[in-house]
Amino acid sequence: MGGQVSKLMGKIFGTKEMRILMLGLDAAGKTTILYKLKLTNQEVTTIPTVGFNVESVTYKNVKFNVWDVGGQDKIRPLWRHYYSGTQGLIFVVDSSDTARLEEARSELHKIINDREMKDALLLVFANKQDVSGHMSPEDVTNALQLNKLKDKLWYVAPSVATEGTGIFEGLAWLSNNVKTQPQK
Amino acid sequence: MTLPLPRRPSEEFPTSNSKTNGLPRLSPSPSIIHKRSISNSATSIRRLEDRVAGLTLSKTRKCKSQYPRDSSERHVEYILVASFHIDRGPIMEHQYPAPISGDESMLAELMLPDQTHVRSQDWTIFFLHKDSSADQEDDDSVIGKKKKKKKLGGSHNGDDIDDSGEDLDESSKEESSDEEEGGEGPPLMYVLNLVNTKQDLTVKRGAVVKAMAICTRHSFLHIYKPLLLLALEDYFKNPYPETLASLYNAVNSMDLSLMPKLSLLERQILQASNCKDMFLEKFEQMIRQRMAEDGESYEVESPPSPKKTTSRHALPRDTHEFESKIVYNEIPIPVKVPTVIWPEVVGDFSLIKLIQTFSVHHNTSPQPFPIHPHLTTSGPYTHPIIILINAMLTQKRVVFLGHNRPSGEVAEAVLAACALASGGILRGFTRHAFPYTDLTKIDDLLKVPGFIAGVTNPTFANHPEWWDVLCDLPTGRMKISTHIEPAPITEGLLYFQQQAAMNHIHASNLNSDPTGDNLFMEDVQRSIANRYGENAIRAKWRSYILKFARVASVFEETVYGASNLYIIGPNEELSPESPSGVQADPLDPTTLRGHGYVWPDELAKQRELMASVSRIEGWRTTRSYYSFIQDIAGMYYPARPIVKPDLHHHHDRLRALKLSSADAGAIYVAFSHAIKDYAGICLLLTVTPENQAGLFYLSMGLFHPDLTVREATVDLLERISRHTAGQHFWNQLNRFSKLAFFRVKRGRDAQSPIAAGPEMSFSEPQSLVGVAMGDGLRSS
Repeated sequence: MGGQVSKLMGKIFGTKEMRILMLGLDAAGKTTILYKLKLTNQEVTTIPTVGFNVESVTYKNVKFNVWDVGGQDKIRPLWRHYYSGTQGLIFVVDSSDTARLEEARSELHKIINDREMKDALLLVFANKQDVSGHMSPEDVTNALQLNKLKDKLWYVAPSVATEGTGIFEGLAWLSNNVKTQPQK
Repeated sequence: MTLPLPRRPSEEFPTSNSKTNGLPRLSPSPSIIHKRSISNSATSIRRLEDRVAGLTLSKTRKCKSQYPRDSSERHVEYILVASFHIDRGPIMEHQYPAPISGDESMLAELMLPDQTHVRSQDWTIFFLHKDSSADQEDDDSVIGKKKKKKKLGGSHNGDDIDDSGEDLDESSKEESSDEEEGGEGPPLMYVLNLVNTKQDLTVKRGAVVKAMAICTRHSFLHIYKPLLLLALEDYFKNPYPETLASLYNAVNSMDLSLMPKLSLLERQILQASNCKDMFLEKFEQMIRQRMAEDGESYEVESPPSPKKTTSRHALPRDTHEFESKIVYNEIPIPVKVPTVIWPEVVGDFSLIKLIQTFSVHHNTSPQPFPIHPHLTTSGPYTHPIIILINAMLTQKRVVFLGHNRPSGEVAEAVLAACALASGGILRGFTRHAFPYTDLTKIDDLLKVPGFIAGVTNPTFANHPEWWDVLCDLPTGRMKISTHIEPAPITEGLLYFQQQAAMNHIHASNLNSDPTGDNLFMEDVQRSIANRYGENAIRAKWRSYILKFARVASVFEETVYGASNLYIIGPNEELSPESPSGVQADPLDPTTLRGHGYVWPDELAKQRELMASVSRIEGWRTTRSYYSFIQDIAGMYYPARPIVKPDLHHHHDRLRALKLSSADAGAIYVAFSHAIKDYAGICLLLTVTPENQAGLFYLSMGLFHPDLTVREATVDLLERISRHTAGQHFWNQLNRFSKLAFFRVKRGRDAQSPIAAGPEMSFSEPQSLVGVAMGDGLRSS
């Protein structure tokens, strides 16, 4: 229903389109977030992504083309091929996997230091807030050293992807901050 | 020591069971024709020939097998299994019988295509290039040892292969690889891969993804599909090397040894024909030879009837394919192997599907392409398939993108595109094709000039710097990249610009389709709509490519004064101005001059050449051009038993021009003088395919005003009607022509009663029409 209405609004006011790239370490919850966005209010079970998934989701008058790319360390060097034309980066972190947070930090900084990603917005999902022993969004912010970033618009959203908690708030932040004209 | 090959048959007219062309072949892979004589291999081949000759009691020449029983070449060389490890990504699990050389993780990535997690099943095809470096030798020796071990295991029928046999195998393998690939390197290894995703809640992260692949040198790898389905299912239950071993043994015990080996011309005839019993005699002979070898009842003089032979070895229902079976886990699985294998034709793709995919939207709502002289040869609204073929001929980078499609689908499109551009004539496409590839290989892919790649990842569409032409399968649209290199200015281009400037009227002609491509595409689409079938469409493309090559040859002669694409026959002059149809030697009718493609008039020729100049010039620097020159010198020209006159050229003149009766008569007489033996008739039949009116234009010689021409035509047609393949063409000739044939023949027999023989068992009843016509002609 909501989708229908926003489609209608899109026809009246013109829809913004935004290319989003969703990255993160393996098993962080990227595919679950993608399909939670796509199939609201449905149970989502996922298996490891071989390669990538791509879906379009329309939310708050913005059409998001979300690319979800597999996270196994061997296939991470491929991420760079998805950078060109990307307006927003969603970086998903497993907040309970404290052991690999340093690895996540290093991958994230590699991505946003790339020339092609310099204008992209950065949304971090501090995911798996329901798992015991998880870090708070503030701890995740510090662990990822986001405060060091200059000239970068970023936001950390706590989320529980399996329940759908927090993910639309994250998208709302993206759609409010996207400035660029719709991309053809 | 040299072996003159292919063998020119002796002067006497061979009967159906006394012919063969070419040497024994040990390699099971397809080949074109033996063209060289290497002292070493030649002697060993001789040795084998002697040995083989000793085996058969027959005096007739032995019909060779495409895949001999005693060959140590395997149908399938490796079986691989890979899986997607949730922590490490794609990994190789098992390889049988030995690890395949090369990058293991790259192989595993290829075996687990992108998005395989959203499908329960997917097929892919990819090719491996085995390096011929030092480690290749090591690798080969390993395989050699394996072979010996297998032989001891008794899984092979070869009972008399000794060390010399092994040497011979090596040398013949080298030779065959050369001829197959146009000297570009060792033969490709084709890989057919099946991947299954099984949801399984008992494992971590809920799914198991496994893939099994068969590596073979056979281009007909699709026959192994049912085997892979069964074996991968077994592997999920028994994930051990034994599962691979039983598949390996099953596929390698497939028996194709009764498939006869055909010469290049015979293959061309079979391919162009719809006759289901074309060359059936050769299959019969194979069975007879086998029965003799096995010591079964067999009489040399009276060949057993087909009924008798069916007892153990059945004759094929359609000679275009050979039926065999593979027994896997005690289940016999029938397989059909194509008799004729063309270069660049791999797997079971569909040209019809490819053409339809890119025709639908073009026909309903065409979109203009940006102009590129190599590609948009009929302007901005050039048919996308013509864009594709131009891109392949001029060696552009072509990507087929199938987002959300199975990777098998993009692989099929790539294979179809290769066959489209090759027509079974040009080469160098599959060698640079990547039927399925993904982002992990992009850096290597971009090092290959003019690749043809299949991908499912839509990110390729966002990188126009990676390709020149993008073919999007789900939308059926093609895109020319904004980054494409502009076409260089060449000598030929300037030449034709000058020509156009001189006769301006011709350039801006009324004709909107100077290349004839629009007409051609309409014809192809009409044939598809009328359900002509895949073979008919492939034949059309074959003749399109053949025409392209012939036009290019005329172009080169026009612009550069000589062509790399045509070997001038004796008494022939290079100058394009030299008139066709003049006899160089007035006493020898076969010295008829003229060669190459025939246009109805000079204007039409100039117009077509002018329209094709860019793509021909673009083609002249490509791999397929250079390997075609090699093939002409090494394969096509030596396979031509008649070098004068140019049969194709003069038959085209009969077809396309309104010749004076003297000119036409000279052609009929020349043909009748030149075409005497088995191979000569084969060559003639390749230029008179059924779908282009068959023998019709030749039979017109029966109505020629000059009696000697009529009788020469009778002689020729009579020879054709007794030819193994020619009889089918004769049977298809219309009744009107046949009546004329018998009338002329009777007329001659009446004059010289000695020559009259009762052997014409198929004498026709007297026809008043025929008599009337004959009289009319005679009196005129």
